[in-house]
This record gives sequence, C-alpha cells and structure tokens, in this order.
Amino acid sequence: MGTIFNIQRFSIHDGPGIRTTVFLKGCNNRCLWCHNPESLIIKPQIQTYLNKCIGCGQCFEVCPEGCHVLFIDDETKETKRMFKREKCTGCGKCADSCFANALVLCGEEMSAQKVMEEVLMDKPYYEQSGGGVTFSGGEPLLQLAFLKELLTISRENGIHTAVQTALNMDFSRVVEVAPYVDLFMCDFKIFDRDLHKKYIGNDGEKIRENLKRLPELKEYGCEYVVRTPVIGGVNDTEEEIKNIADFPEEFVHPAYYELMPYHNMGLSKLETLGVEGEDIGEAALFTTPSEEKMNTLKEISNIIKK
Amino acid sequence: MEKIYRDCIESMRETKLMYNQMKLEKIGYIDNDDHGMIPLPHKEGFPKLESSPDGLAYGPRDIGKNWKLWLTEYHPTYINPNSALAGAWFGTVPGLGGWRKEDRPYHLKELHEKYNFVQTGIGAMNHMCPDMRIGLDLGFKGILDKVRRFRYLNNPVNTDFYDGEEDVVLGMLAFIERHAKAAKEMSLTETDPFKKSNLEKIAEVNQNLLKEPPKTLREAVQFLCWFQTFSRMYFTSGAMGQLDELLRPYYEKDIKEGIITDDEVVWYIASLLVNDTHYSQIGGPHPADGHDLSSRMSYLILEATHALRIPCHIALRLHDNYNHDLFHKAVTYLFEDGTGVNYSCSGGLDKGYMKNSAPLGLARMRAKVGCNWTALPGIEYCLQDVSRVCLVKPLLLALDDMIADSSCENSMEELWDRYCGHLAVSVKVMKDGMDWHMAHHGRNTPEMVINLFCHGPIERGLDAVDGGVDIYNLNCDGVGLATAADSFGAIEQRVVNEKRISWEKLYEVLKNDYEGNENIRLMMKNIPRYGSGGSLSDKWADKISDKYTHLMKDTPTDNGYQMIPGLFSHGIIGQLGQNLGATPNGRKAGEPISHSADPDPGFMKDGGSAPTAKSNAVARVQPGYGNSAPLQIDFDTELAMSIGGIEAIENLLLTHNKQGGTLVNINVVSKEKILEAHKDPSKYPDLVVRVTGFSAFFASLSPKYRQQIVDRILSK
Ligand code: SF4
Ligand code: SF4
Repeated sequence: MGTIFNIQRFSIHDGPGIRTTVFLKGCNNRCLWCHNPESLIIKPQIQTYLNKCIGCGQCFEVCPEGCHVLFIDDETKETKRMFKREKCTGCGKCADSCFANALVLCGEEMSAQKVMEEVLMDKPYYEQSGGGVTFSGGEPLLQLAFLKELLTISRENGIHTAVQTALNMDFSRVVEVAPYVDLFMCDFKIFDRDLHKKYIGNDGEKIRENLKRLPELKEYGCEYVVRTPVIGGVNDTEEEIKNIADFPEEFVHPAYYELMPYHNMGLSKLETLGVEGEDIGEAALFTTPSEEKMNTLKEISNIIKK
Repeated sequence: MEKIYRDCIESMRETKLMYNQMKLEKIGYIDNDDHGMIPLPHKEGFPKLESSPDGLAYGPRDIGKNWKLWLTEYHPTYINPNSALAGAWFGTVPGLGGWRKEDRPYHLKELHEKYNFVQTGIGAMNHMCPDMRIGLDLGFKGILDKVRRFRYLNNPVNTDFYDGEEDVVLGMLAFIERHAKAAKEMSLTETDPFKKSNLEKIAEVNQNLLKEPPKTLREAVQFLCWFQTFSRMYFTSGAMGQLDELLRPYYEKDIKEGIITDDEVVWYIASLLVNDTHYSQIGGPHPADGHDLSSRMSYLILEATHALRIPCHIALRLHDNYNHDLFHKAVTYLFEDGTGVNYSCSGGLDKGYMKNSAPLGLARMRAKVGCNWTALPGIEYCLQDVSRVCLVKPLLLALDDMIADSSCENSMEELWDRYCGHLAVSVKVMKDGMDWHMAHHGRNTPEMVINLFCHGPIERGLDAVDGGVDIYNLNCDGVGLATAADSFGAIEQRVVNEKRISWEKLYEVLKNDYEGNENIRLMMKNIPRYGSGGSLSDKWADKISDKYTHLMKDTPTDNGYQMIPGLFSHGIIGQLGQNLGATPNGRKAGEPISHSADPDPGFMKDGGSAPTAKSNAVARVQPGYGNSAPLQIDFDTELAMSIGGIEAIENLLLTHNKQGGTLVNINVVSKEKILEAHKDPSKYPDLVVRVTGFSAFFASLSPKYRQQIVDRILSK
C-alpha cells in the first residue's frame, strides 16, 4: 500500500507522449515555492473549500475528533465554523460525507494494483503516442517499496516508465528502482548552497552528489533528463543558471536539459490547507519569469551545454 | 496565396459576418447550423395553388409546380463579384403543405409524448446522400433528358412523379439562366477589372451549364454550388459526398492544361463553402483496396476552410491507410483556427456497417455527409439524424411503476427489468413510426431534389423512399446515456450498497425536484460517474447501450425495415430535458439531459474531463453497426501553445479510431474567450464553435444554447 494524492490522465508535460501521472504523497524538500504543497507530508490531509459548503452539518456529526466546531463570534455575534486542523487524524470521514466537496481528503491509501488499474486504462494511448506512466510527487522515491511495486507492474504490462525526483536521498534508492525505470526526470533547482538552504531547507550537497552519479544509470538502460524550474526572485539570475548548466564534467549528455518557468499555482492550494495570511510568507513573493528573461536564460544554458 | 484570391476570400468572409449580423437582427438567434442562408430582399405574393383545396402543394406534381414558379419568378438572384460562383438561397420553396392531414400520425401522439419523443423521424426529409457524380456526368440538361427518357420508357399511368421531377429540373435551369444573365448585366457596369472579368466568367460558366455537363473544375464547382442551393431550398438538405474525389478529375485535367492555379482553386472552394455548409468528406479508404483517397484536391479543400475560418462541414476520414500529412495539417489548422474539420473514424464505422450484411467495399464507401452521420452516396435510404429515443424517460417511468407496485420489492433488478420494458416499448413506438413514415412519405413530400442524384428513382419512376434506391437502413439515435447511466449508478451506490437513502425517500425527493434537499442532490451527483472508468455508472452505460442496440437491431420494423442504432443528440438535449422531472443523478427537473454518448462535463473525480477517459468511455458504448456515437472534446487553447499538444491530440484521435470510435468533434478554445463571448457575443462575432456534429458562429446561438457549450468547456 502507498499514499497518493492524485492520478492525472492525459498528462502531456511529464515525459514523452500521452501519459498518466501518479502523484505520491510526501516530500523531504521544503521548497518555499512548491506548487503542490498538499504533497509535502505523507499523511492524508483535509483540504477545505468552504465557499462550497451548503451547511448540511454532516461534518460536525461524523468527525470522531471533534475537529469541526461552531462558535459564536464575540464581536459580530454570528455563528461561525472553525476547523481544528491540529487534531485531525486524516481519517477522511468528514470528506466522505461532504457531498458539496467543501471538504476534500487529499491523500488516499491505495494498493499498487488499484493504482495501476487506472493507469492501464489508457494503455492504447501510450502505445500510440510513445507515452506511458510517470511517478511524481512529492518525492516518489520516499515510498520506495510501493514505487517499486508500481514500476514492476508497469514493466509487466510493457508500459514506458518515468520517475520525477529531486534526488535528495541516498543514491542507493535510485539504483534500486533503476532496473524498472525508462526515464528519470531530475530536478536541479539551485546551485548556490546558501540559497539552497534558504529556499529548500538543506544545502543541496546530497543532490549535487547524486546529480554527478546520474551517468551510472545508463548501465540499467535508463535515460535521464535534468530540469530547472526558473523561479523569479530565487534562481532567475544569469549566474545561477550558468552555474547549474555548467555543473560537473561527469554530468554529461542527459536526454535533454530543460528550463521550466515557474507558475504561481501553489498559493491557492496553501489556503485550502489552512496556511493563510502571514503564514504564506515568502511563498507569495515568487514570480513567474518573463518570456524575455526565460529566453535569455535559455540561451545561456544552451551555450554552456554546447 | 496570391493577393487577389486572398482578398476575395477575406471579402467573402466579411460579407458573411455582415449577413450574420443582419440575420441576428431580423430573425434572432439560430440554434442550428447556419446553412449559408442570406436574408435577400425578395418578391412577395407567391400565389396559392389553384388546383389544391387549401391552396397548398402536396405530392410530386404540385410541389414541382411551386418549385418551378419559385425559381423562375420569385426567388431573387444573388451574385457576389468576389465569389467565383453564382447563387445563394434565402428561403425554402413556399406553399408546400407538408403531409396531408389524413396521413399524419395522430394515433402515435400519445405514445410519443409518454416516451418523450421530440424527433420521431416521421415526415423527415433528405438525410441521405446523393451521388453527385450522376449530376456532374449528366449536367442539368442531361438530367432533364434522363427524366423525359425514363418517363417515355416507363410510360406510367400516373405521371405525377415525372411531371414533378421535370418541373424541378426546369426550375433549376431557369434559375441558372437568370443568374447567367444577371452576371452578364453586372459585368457591363463593373469598373474593377478583376471583378468585371470574374462576372463575365460567371456568366460564361453558367451559360455552359445550361447546355452541357461541367467540363472544367470551375464549372464542376459551380454545379455543386447549384446543388447546394437547390437542395437547401427543398427542406434544407445538406449532404454532398466525397468532395475531393468528386472534383479530382476536373482539377487534374485543368492543371494539366495549365488553365488554373492552386490558389485559384482554393478560391473556388472557399466560394463553395461560403455558399452553404453542406457536409462532405475528404480522405478515406478506397472501396476496392483501402488505399487512401486523398489527393492534392483534399489539401486545397482544407486550405479553403483554413482561409475562411467560418463554419464548414468537412470531415477527414481516419482509417488504416490514412494520409498522416493531411491529418497533421488538419489538426494544426484546428489549433490555429479553434475549429476545423471533424474526424470520421473507419475504425468503428466500417466494421460496424459490415454487420448489416454489407461487404467491406460497400462499408468503405459510406461517406461522412451529415452532422454525425454517414451514408452510401446515391444508393441508400438511411433517414439519419432525425429520430431519437430518449434513454432517460424509461427510467422515470420504471421508477414510477416500481414504487407504485406494492406487490414487488424495490431492487436494482426490478428497476432494470421495468426500464428494459419501457425502453422496448419506446423502441417499438419508434419502429412503428418508421413504418408509418415509409408508407406515407413519398406521396406527401417526396425527395424531389435528391431523387435526381440517386441511382434508381428516375430510372424506376419511384421516389427514393418508395423503392427508388436499393438499400434501406433506418437510423435511430439514443440520447441521454450519461444521465441514465449515472442515475442507475447513483441509485445502486447510495440506495442499495451504502443504504444512505431509502427508495421511497429518494422517490419523494425526486418528485419534489430536490427542493430543500440539496445535500441529497449532491450526494446522488457525487458518485464515480460514467466515463471515469470501471465505475458502477460505466457498467450501467454498457448495459443501457447494449440493451438499446439489441432492441433496435434484433428485430426489424413490422414492415421489415432494418434499423441501425446510433447515439447522438444533435442539439435537442435542452428540449428533451424540459419535459423531464428530476433524475437520480442529481439533475433537476427541466435541466438538459446529457449529450449523445458523452459523459457529462466534469465527470472525473476531480471535476475534470480527461480526454483519454472520455474517449475510452465513448468507444466502449458504441452501438457498433456503422452509425455513429460521436466523441465531443473541447481543448483549452493553452494546450495548443504547449510543446507536444498537437501530437497528443493526433494520437488521441488515432487511438479513438483504433478503439472502434466513429466520429470525433473538437474545439480548441480558451476559457476566458468563451466566457467573454458568452457575456457579450458582439465582442467576438467571428468566433466559430463546433456545437456537436455541426459548427456555428457562437454569437448566432441563443444564450441558453451557448450555456451548454460554456458548461462543457469550463469543466476542464
Ligand atoms: S459536510 Fe460539507 S457541506 Fe456539510 S456542513 Fe460540513 S463542510 Fe459544509
Ligand atoms: S479527516 Fe477525520 S479527523 Fe480529520 S476532520 Fe475529518 S473526520 Fe475529523
């Protein structure tokens, strides 16, 4: 069993062809700009969309922890609701009885077979388009046994497999699944140690070490690509991109190297997870780089790669 | 493209938009195909028919009289100097009585109401395909000679049929002659040298067509243009045929002789497409060996649609040997223009049609010539796209019966049994109506125009409906599959499996249209729905489609006609929904039911509509006898911008074809644009959307109708 938070079909930006992307929950990086903040912790979480609430009262009744409570606002004297997120165990009972989808459980424990049942539904499209399945996250390599099971079933069914990883772990994990993987899509977000620490929560040493070892994966017949999300205000400087693209001698010939403009999609999700107002903090400060800037940076990275 | 032709096409496009505006002001919204109609000023006072008691024309002879008079004296001429072709229509032949009172199916009315029939097929016209080669080979004069010759050979006692057909052709010739004269006159005063010579050419082409069959490509296209105009004037017929193949011989000859250029040809075709929105196919399997039929002509037709960017009804046929280059071009234009050709799929059509005891060669010939439908040109009476069975009403009736019957226990099995019972009656009512139609149609509203372009009617002196052609397959389409399937799925999950609500309570809530029970409505709605794959609703969709197909197919009508089932709603989901109470899938009374075989918008768990999931669902529920259950997909423009977007759509289409799909209709439109256009249509007067099988200017559709399209697109 493993925990996933989404299965996205007809996915066309997560590897070649038409794909299904399976998002595994849980991550050991803490990128402040994360556009999947619901992926960070492995435990299922309630996301709230209270503008959809029709006031049926079900959630108040079913929650065993008493997380949903009503109170009278001292000032306005209005009855208001409160969600005591800290007490929530993620059992999903409230979401199950909230037919208005005002409460949604993010994260579901599923067997690999069950996940693959849905993935296999689109097999004819993978075959036609040279597509397949992509395991993303969160950090899929954290649920190693589950990922291996998913990959094994994919292999048995002759589906092209891709894994998206930030490589912040012991390289042995990568090697363990490598025999079942056709394509690794690795992130290289920030070169500078201090910046890495500031924005991702660690100095990135392990990641850099692992990036150097990527060519080893060729032994297993894996291809790999390296991608850099360009985040306005973080790594959108010529120096950063130059350093990343220039990175080590050993880091040669990935299938391709790609700069991806960051999109500010995580903010609205943060609110559904109860992170609001000041708590959003720096996440709100990042910007999408302009097309012009992207072009300049792409040019620089291309020069380096040549 | 040469500037002069580009300018001509652009000017025709602008003229078209101007007429649109005029139509909006004069007629109001048109929730249908645009049909190329032009609101022309015209002579009033068309006389009543003296020989008829009510002054109206019934049957071939009288219809022929009205037709001839209409085209000789009343219908105005129309020539646009920027167009390569003469002619346009503004209205159908007046003074026709339709069906005689004594022939109308009053006895079926009650059952039609009970089963929510909005389109019964009775009295419906056209909806079969002409073989335009007959016309191109003979010319109008040759057709007239043919009518006269077979009248002589057959020597019938009752000459009504030939009298009528002869008058129809005489009217056509008179109309063409009027245009030849008008073009000549206009050329005398025209000062622009290109327009002047164009008008002279139009006059010459039409003079030639009065005497001989078309010899050049331009004459052939003008001939087809006349067919479009005439067939539209007669109960708005709209089928044409395998357009690239019809024109290829003329094109090849003219190119060889060096008398035309490709740019000029694109202009001819654009002129034809502006004239009317008849349905044609390009590409497709050769009947004999399956090689692809596409030629240079197919490309030029595609170029013309791209240059015009107005609703055009060209379908590209996908099959084992399809032309990938042409296909890629079509998809690329779809991304650029937002709309374009649709994709007819041999994958489901050909094998399916063979199941009606047809050889493969015949199945391959069945061209895409209607909104959703295919037909054998000139030899098949198929009555496509005019008769529909509501798949939802039997469920409401079944629920009524089961709840009222205290002797039975409420269960899924009981409900399904009763559903099947009602569906069977509904299908039988449809079949009885078909028999009625076949027995009475020819003597009331015969196929006066299409008869001339079929193999048999003139030769035999029989209307197409009465034995004029050799093959009879009557279509009927089921509508509302998703509404019915999701309703069954919701009941099974919420009432039977989870026991969250009792049968009785659900029934009471439905009867009160979910009033005060929004939570129950949402509970019924939020189940894994048809399309998500492997859900209860998916299972019910399979069952319903299967049952419907068997009921249609297993037995012919009482009079022995074979039926071929499809699943297609055209645009009547609103009308059907208006007559229906609340349904167990959370749909409120009066709301539209679901489209064709498509899952409802937002059918996925996350509220999205993954195209692969949708494609799988529609491929699975195909009735599978060669009539279609189209897949409608709306893509956001963003996808078009992204790398791999075009290839992804191509591969989606190819896979749908391989999986046994029959037709795919696609829009590429941005959410923002469609929302803005919905709020203020005048902002985007040229926005074209594919509504279902047909395309239309978004601004010409009524707000209610537009809403259906907006809902669909927003659910991505
Ligand atoms: S269950 Fe959902 S709709 Fe009902 S009160 Fe709770 S949040 Fe609102
Ligand atoms: S998930 Fe469980 S514990 Fe958390 S709020 Fe909902 S019902 Fe309560």
